[in-house]
Amino acid sequence: MNFNEIFGTFGLQSTSFLFQLLIVLVKIAVVIAITMLHVAYATYFERKVIGHMQVRVGPMRVGPHGLLQPIADGVKLFFKEDIIPSNADRTVFQIAPLVAVFATLSSLAVIPFYDIFYIANINVGILYIFAMSSLGAYSLIMSGWASNSKYSFLGGLRSTAQVVSYEIAMAFSLVSIMLMAGSMNLIEIVQAQQQYWYGMYLIPQFVAYIVFLIAMLAETNRTPFDLPEAESELVAGYFVEYSGMRFALFFLGEYIGMIVMSSLAVVCFWGGWTVPPILLKFIPQLAIVPGIVWFILKVYFHIFLFYWIRATLPRYRYDKLMALGWKILIPVALANLVVTSIIKYIY
Amino acid sequence: MTLKELVKKVFFLEILKGMALTFKMMCTRAVTIQYPKQRRRIYAGFRGRHAFVRDPKTLKEKCIACMRCANICPSQCIYIAKKKRPEDGKLYLAQYDIEALRCIYCGYCVETCPVCALVLTEDYEYSAYTKQELYFTKEKLLENWDEFAAKQKEDTYFNKFWRPDGIDASKLPKGKREQGPVPTRIVVVSEPESSPEKNEKKETD
Repeated sequence: MNFNEIFGTFGLQSTSFLFQLLIVLVKIAVVIAITMLHVAYATYFERKVIGHMQVRVGPMRVGPHGLLQPIADGVKLFFKEDIIPSNADRTVFQIAPLVAVFATLSSLAVIPFYDIFYIANINVGILYIFAMSSLGAYSLIMSGWASNSKYSFLGGLRSTAQVVSYEIAMAFSLVSIMLMAGSMNLIEIVQAQQQYWYGMYLIPQFVAYIVFLIAMLAETNRTPFDLPEAESELVAGYFVEYSGMRFALFFLGEYIGMIVMSSLAVVCFWGGWTVPPILLKFIPQLAIVPGIVWFILKVYFHIFLFYWIRATLPRYRYDKLMALGWKILIPVALANLVVTSIIKYIY
Repeated sequence: MTLKELVKKVFFLEILKGMALTFKMMCTRAVTIQYPKQRRRIYAGFRGRHAFVRDPKTLKEKCIACMRCANICPSQCIYIAKKKRPEDGKLYLAQYDIEALRCIYCGYCVETCPVCALVLTEDYEYSAYTKQELYFTKEKLLENWDEFAAKQKEDTYFNKFWRPDGIDASKLPKGKREQGPVPTRIVVVSEPESSPEKNEKKETD
C-alpha cells in the first residue's frame, strides 16, 4: 500500500500538482498547530522559569502546577472586548496585528525542522527570513502610528530604529555563515556543517554567533532590548491601545518570532537536526534518536536563553542600545566577515 | 582601559556572573507560601483582630470602664461610654467601640488594660466589604473572642504579651498580675445580653 494506491482512488497521483498541494497544506497545518500550542505553553514556561529564577513559583492555581493557565489565558483573551480608540486609524489599526503574525508565521515556511520535514526548500532561505523579519517592523510602526497615542507612537519609532540597526549586524553575522557553507539554502547550510568533526559552525564562527545572539534579542524586542515596550516608560509601547484578540495576535507574533530566531540560530550555528559526528562515533546509539528531537532540544535551549537573559538583565538605555548596535556589533561582524573571507580564500 | 577590563568587557564576564546567579537561584526552593493552602506561622506576640476575653465566670467581658485604653490609644479609635447603675450607683460599661480601620495595632491598649479584658488575637483574616463590619462593638468583640477561642487546639490560652514585658510583676495591677490561662472551650448557648439570670446556666467543658 503506497500513497499512489490510497490517493489514486480520489484521482490523485503522487506526482500530480493537487497531491503536492495537499501534502504542503497538511504540513502547514501541522506546523501552525504545533507552533500555536508551543506559543501557549511558551508563556507558561517563561512564567515558570522567571518565577523560579526570582525564587517564586509562577502560576500554580489553574490545574496541577498551573498547567492549564495558558488555556485560561487564551479563553480570557478570546472573549475580551475588542476596543478601537475613537481617534485611531481604523483600517491600519486592524491590519497591524495581522501583519505581525503573518510576517513571523511565514518565516516558519523555510525552517528545516528535520531533513525530510520542511514546508519549502528555497535557495534564498536566509534572505527570505530577513525579508519577513523586516516586514515585522512594519506591524510595529503601523500599530504605533494608527493607535494615535503618544506611547504607541514612541514605541513604534523605537522599534523601527532598533530593528533597522540590528538587522545589519545580524545579516553580517549570517553572511559569514553563507560564506562558510557557500549557500543560502538552510538545508545545505546544515549539511555543510557535517564536514567538521564537531558538526556545527558554532566553533569557527563563535564571534558571529555572539553577534547573532545579541541581534536576535534586539530583533524580537526581548529584554534587555525591549525598549519598544518598555513598560516603565511607555506603558506597553506600540500595543498600548490593543485589547483582546488583537493584543493576543501581537503576543503570538512575538513568541513565534522567538521560535523563528531560535530555529535560525540552531540551523546556522548548531547544526540543525544533526548531532556532531564525533559524538556519533563514540555513542552510535544516538543515531536512533530522530533528528527532530535534537532540533527541538536545541531550539528550547535558545528559548530558555531568552528567558534566562530576561530574568537576569535590566533594560538598556536607548543611546547605549544604538551605540552597541552601530559602534560594536556592526564593526565586529564586519571584521569577522573579512577574516572569514580571507581564511576561506586561502583554503 | 587595562587588559583586565578589556577581558571583562569582551567576554561579558559580569553578565555571565549575573546569569550564573539567576541559574543558581532557579535550582533553589521558592520561598512562596501558597496562601490559602499553606499559612505563615504566627509568632508569639502577633497583634491581630481585637477581642474581649470572655470571662469564664460571668460569661461576659471583664472590662471595668477604666478608660485607660481609650486614653493611651495613639489613633484615638476606642470609644467608651459608661453609665451609673440605678441600683447601687456604680459605673458600668454601657458602650465600647473600636474602629478597627483606624487602629494601628500598637498593642498599647492590651498592655495597659488592668484586668486583661481587651486583647489582640492572632486572627488576621477578617477583611470585610463594609466599614460597619470592621466597627467592633462590645458584642462583636466578644464574638471575636469566641471565634478565636474555637480555633485553639489547647483547652486554655495565654499570651505572655498581655503583660507588659520588663516590668516587675508586683508593680502591675492585681487583675493583670493574676491573669492566668483562659479556658477556650466555653460554649455560649444563648445571647448573654437577653437575660442575666440565664448566664449562670451556661456550662463550661
